[in-house]
Amino acid sequence: MKLKKYVTLTRAGIIESLQFRMSFLIMVIGNLLYLTVTYFLWKAIYASVDTDVVNGMTFTDTLIYLVLATALNGFLEMYLVWDIGRSIQSGKIVLDLLKPMPYRRYLFWSYSGSFATQFLFTFLPTFIIVSVVTHGAIPLGINLLWFVLSVVLAIVINYSIDFIIGTVCLYTESIWGINIMKQVVILLLSGATIPLAFFPDGLRTVVSYLPFQAIYNAPLSLLLHADPDMQTVCTTLGLQAFWAFALTLISTAFWNRSLRQITVNGG
Amino acid sequence: MKQKGFGFYFRIYLKILAQDLKSKMSYRADFIISTIGMICTNIAGFISFWILFRRFPSINGWGYYEILFLYGFSLVSLTPVQCFFDNNWSLRQYVYSGDFIKYCFRPINLFFYFQSEVFDVKGLGQLAFGLGTLIFAWVKLGLGCSVLMILKMIVFLLTASLIMISLQNAAAATCFWIQNSFYVMDFVNRFRDYAKYPVTIFNKGFRFIFTFIMPIAFIAYYPSLVILRPDAVPLLSWISPLIGILFFFLSYKFWMFGALKYSGTGS
Repeated sequence: MKLKKYVTLTRAGIIESLQFRMSFLIMVIGNLLYLTVTYFLWKAIYASVDTDVVNGMTFTDTLIYLVLATALNGFLEMYLVWDIGRSIQSGKIVLDLLKPMPYRRYLFWSYSGSFATQFLFTFLPTFIIVSVVTHGAIPLGINLLWFVLSVVLAIVINYSIDFIIGTVCLYTESIWGINIMKQVVILLLSGATIPLAFFPDGLRTVVSYLPFQAIYNAPLSLLLHADPDMQTVCTTLGLQAFWAFALTLISTAFWNRSLRQITVNGG
Repeated sequence: MKQKGFGFYFRIYLKILAQDLKSKMSYRADFIISTIGMICTNIAGFISFWILFRRFPSINGWGYYEILFLYGFSLVSLTPVQCFFDNNWSLRQYVYSGDFIKYCFRPINLFFYFQSEVFDVKGLGQLAFGLGTLIFAWVKLGLGCSVLMILKMIVFLLTASLIMISLQNAAAATCFWIQNSFYVMDFVNRFRDYAKYPVTIFNKGFRFIFTFIMPIAFIAYYPSLVILRPDAVPLLSWISPLIGILFFFLSYKFWMFGALKYSGTGS
């Protein structure tokens, strides 16, 4: 029963995240308010131009894009860097390293439980609300399948980046600064704050070669196109798969190398 | 008990501050990285406006430099809460672990003692960037300069700071009732991001909420009107200093109410 240990970790994660019901409620209300604010902001922005379509995006497209980016962010941001950083500082990491599973994999499966609950309780409701509010502007077809595949790859990419940044904490003993830099870079360059379509051409070309756009822009562009040609789908998913693979290798190698020079004070 | 004077508290503050800075200096790398991280966040905000205004001419009649003015204003007014009240973020940990009880046994004001323990240096990086943005926008808008304007600026910056401090105090104090106040603080934190947009983009309902219930409109919008649109300053702008003081007083009372009913964890 090889799978059992993973399922156990997932289950523990689900139970743990259901413990904090009050915080959960606040988070849901917070998200809803945030969505409303985004709505008004972009409505005002679109009111300043005469055309309905700007760089291929209508107001509804932009709204769906940004709202779902926020919802994705809700379950992609796992405060992993804080977890790794804190367990290094407190020495708790020694206990985790003793577990009969590589640390990287152990953490991933511990988080999988909250991925699941977050997806069900925040992403799905948001998705439904948005598609009702926009009167079915989200095309429901084969693109949903591409979207889900793309999100899974995005989770892997995001997790790897987080893990690399967490490993950096072994050297710097700084968590807040490192983590905020990571957040800022990802949110801006992935299109989560402003859709990549609005970026100036030069900047957009540069950004399209970076792994960050694979986290938010890739799944969301796949979702918004009802009937994308096979070539676009393949390039998008292929590029994501490449980054997922490359970053997994890099983060594993970096961690294994760094582990040799770890110094833990007590624990 | 005799009421202790301002001079007494000022001397104590300097002493505690010196200790805090000494301990911070032993983590020099952390200090430098955090400051860079803070400035990165601010630059990212700047860049997103730059991108936005290359595609769109204005937001609700507010041009690029006017929005930058609001942004700079909000950054500067956030500095005091960042520098002097950052310990609020740790409040829930102290309460949860029971360590909070140590603050209750000192013969000085509980609120003062708790807040004075941490001085967050990275706020100064934000102050520098904010001032830079503000002056840049000020010059580009050709606002001119007089003693009266500078005085108005200072008064209204302080007002905005008071509002921000009140919001954070109130959010942090919720941990005396609910276990995990992180979500409440994060919620407030996310909303203060919206302080950099003119409140007129919202409909009546939300304008009411952001003016009287969650007063983020006072962080930059209402105070800035005094400088930016001197011909049509609403009454709310002029009375905002009073509102700031009122909100601060209420949040202080709320914080103390929670603190005084705190009964420790028994260990």
